[in-house]
Amino acid sequence: MADSPQHHRAHKKARLGLQLWDGLGTALVNLLVVFLVIVYLFPISYMVFTAFKMDSQFSDIKAPIWPARIVTYTYTGEDYPLYEVPTAGSIKKWALVERHRTESTFVNPANPETGPITWEGSWRTLDPVYEFYPAFENFAYLWATINYPRLVWNTVKVTMLSGIGVMISSILVAYGFSRFRIPGGNLLFILLIATVLIPEKITLIPTYYMFTRILNWNGTYYPLIVPHLFGNAILIFLLRQNFKSIPREMEEAAMIDGAGPLRILTSVILPQSGPVITTAALLHFFYAWNELRQASLYLGISPDLYTLAFRVQQYQSYFAPPNMLQVSALFAMAIPVLVLFLTQREFMHEVLITGLEK
Amino acid sequence: MMTSIRRFLSKSNLCPQTRMERREALVGLLFISPWIVGFLLLKLVPIFVSLGFSFTDFYMLYPGDTKFVGRENYAHILEDLFSEDGAAGYYLSNTIGFAILSVPAQLLTALGLAVLLNSQRLAAKELHRTLVFLPSVIPGAAIAFVWFGFLDPTTGWLNRLFLEPLGLPPYPGPYSEAGYNLFRIITALWSIGPGFLIMLGAMRGVPPELYEAAHVAGAGPIMRLLKVTVPIISPAVFFSLVINLVSVFGGATLLDRGTSFSGGGQSPFDFYIGEVMFSSYRLGYAASLAWMMFLIMLATTIALFATARYWVYYPDGDEA
Repeated sequence: MADSPQHHRAHKKARLGLQLWDGLGTALVNLLVVFLVIVYLFPISYMVFTAFKMDSQFSDIKAPIWPARIVTYTYTGEDYPLYEVPTAGSIKKWALVERHRTESTFVNPANPETGPITWEGSWRTLDPVYEFYPAFENFAYLWATINYPRLVWNTVKVTMLSGIGVMISSILVAYGFSRFRIPGGNLLFILLIATVLIPEKITLIPTYYMFTRILNWNGTYYPLIVPHLFGNAILIFLLRQNFKSIPREMEEAAMIDGAGPLRILTSVILPQSGPVITTAALLHFFYAWNELRQASLYLGISPDLYTLAFRVQQYQSYFAPPNMLQVSALFAMAIPVLVLFLTQREFMHEVLITGLEK
Repeated sequence: MMTSIRRFLSKSNLCPQTRMERREALVGLLFISPWIVGFLLLKLVPIFVSLGFSFTDFYMLYPGDTKFVGRENYAHILEDLFSEDGAAGYYLSNTIGFAILSVPAQLLTALGLAVLLNSQRLAAKELHRTLVFLPSVIPGAAIAFVWFGFLDPTTGWLNRLFLEPLGLPPYPGPYSEAGYNLFRIITALWSIGPGFLIMLGAMRGVPPELYEAAHVAGAGPIMRLLKVTVPIISPAVFFSLVINLVSVFGGATLLDRGTSFSGGGQSPFDFYIGEVMFSSYRLGYAASLAWMMFLIMLATTIALFATARYWVYYPDGDEA
């Protein structure tokens, strides 16, 4: 046995060193990831900060980066802004009452009885005193102007109707591809995947012409819903991979009991496919909620039908101040982000497991 | 690819023999019929109608006056591409430049983040993954507002918080051409969510024995990444590469966040087709431009699949 005391000690020391090294590596990896995620999402902090700023903060070059307003002091019934005034000895926070070029009059809020104080120098060189102030009124204002509840309801309608359609048809098609020997079925499945590569522009002109001139669907929700009734290639792919992995024994038992294909789908396959169906529905939700191209093509002429994403996008052309743009962005993303966080466990897990890979 | 198609063909029984087989095929066809009808009505027929349009002078305002013009549109594309002041040439070269810069950037960022977030040392993995995925569910308009605001040279934060304190030259803002290109690449990096998840999913499938073997053979973390992880997840990388490239040319994105037809996340050439379509209403010419882009994309995709055999790894010796 080479387990002499010295050897043992040296071994322990080496292990301690390794542990230290390992702990350092773990700390570095965690720090690096946290840092990278903060950098990656940093503009979101800009969005939130800006959304809470008042309009006046954008023309004020001395304003801080956080939402703030100048502290005011009420003196003889009027509000006056506070400035940091350098006086002999210290910097005082005084309210500016009268502005002149070479001298200005201030009032000391701590001691207003002393009356106006005259200060020599240009008040423009002074820094105002700011306080943290989140302008919730921006949100109230936009809520009222764009009729947020109505936009959300419109978007929910389109998302739900197209979602129900795309889920039913995608499930049927995926079931067909996963369980039946169809002549040329594998070739058809390759074709299905290849349709993902077809650029939108090439089918756009004929479909646009058909929807607006032949079917007269301009200004209706039909162009945003009907195409989904034929299924979606990516969702079909996702569902089919999952259906194929379900063992067939239960189906065979059901078949012996006389169940038809539709019955097998609803009573054997679907109950075992909860997670993948949730994931497919979520993928469609994220797409449909943010959908903009079809909405801008077909809904432009009927403002009553505007979806949230379309209405917010229009805000861009109104020369809105930065804070209102960010408020509208927050309004637009609030619901999908909330849904992502509520469903993250199922959604992320399922996408990871199933893999959207070919 | 050819062998797999041949194998698929031989596997699929093109002529069902028995009554049972015929019945099964019929029921199966019935189930997939929604997709077949949709494919014919919304993809195949429109693609060929577009091809027909591309040989006419179809003008949206006077559809009755449309007449056949032969290959005039395509001759015009050549002029538009190669003449000094041709718009198509400008937008196409911009699109190719954008693809060369943005696609590798997207792949490397997704790969790097996936490697880091797959680390066994990392705490709160799920939260980090959700946060990386987060920008992929934000609507396109909101993305544009956030980044335009953040990059704005006067009221934005990039110059004020980062470049100025570091003594770097100020960013000119997204309204200049160079500035806009940077904006496009940044927003492209904000849509890596699906690609990131695909690579992460593939990484979790790498057999741990391989890492142990590499570790025993003395490979460090970087060698393990390059010699074990990357080759094994190469199908996921390939898939992301195809999808990213196709989306630059106006094809599908995995998770569409709804960018508008007027700018945003789409490629400059796609934007140009939209302009011809919706601003000057020359649908015939727009159709020929769309067909040209479709062919470029098809050629690129086929070329990619042809290179796949040299670098994409398939465990059972299968090809793409």
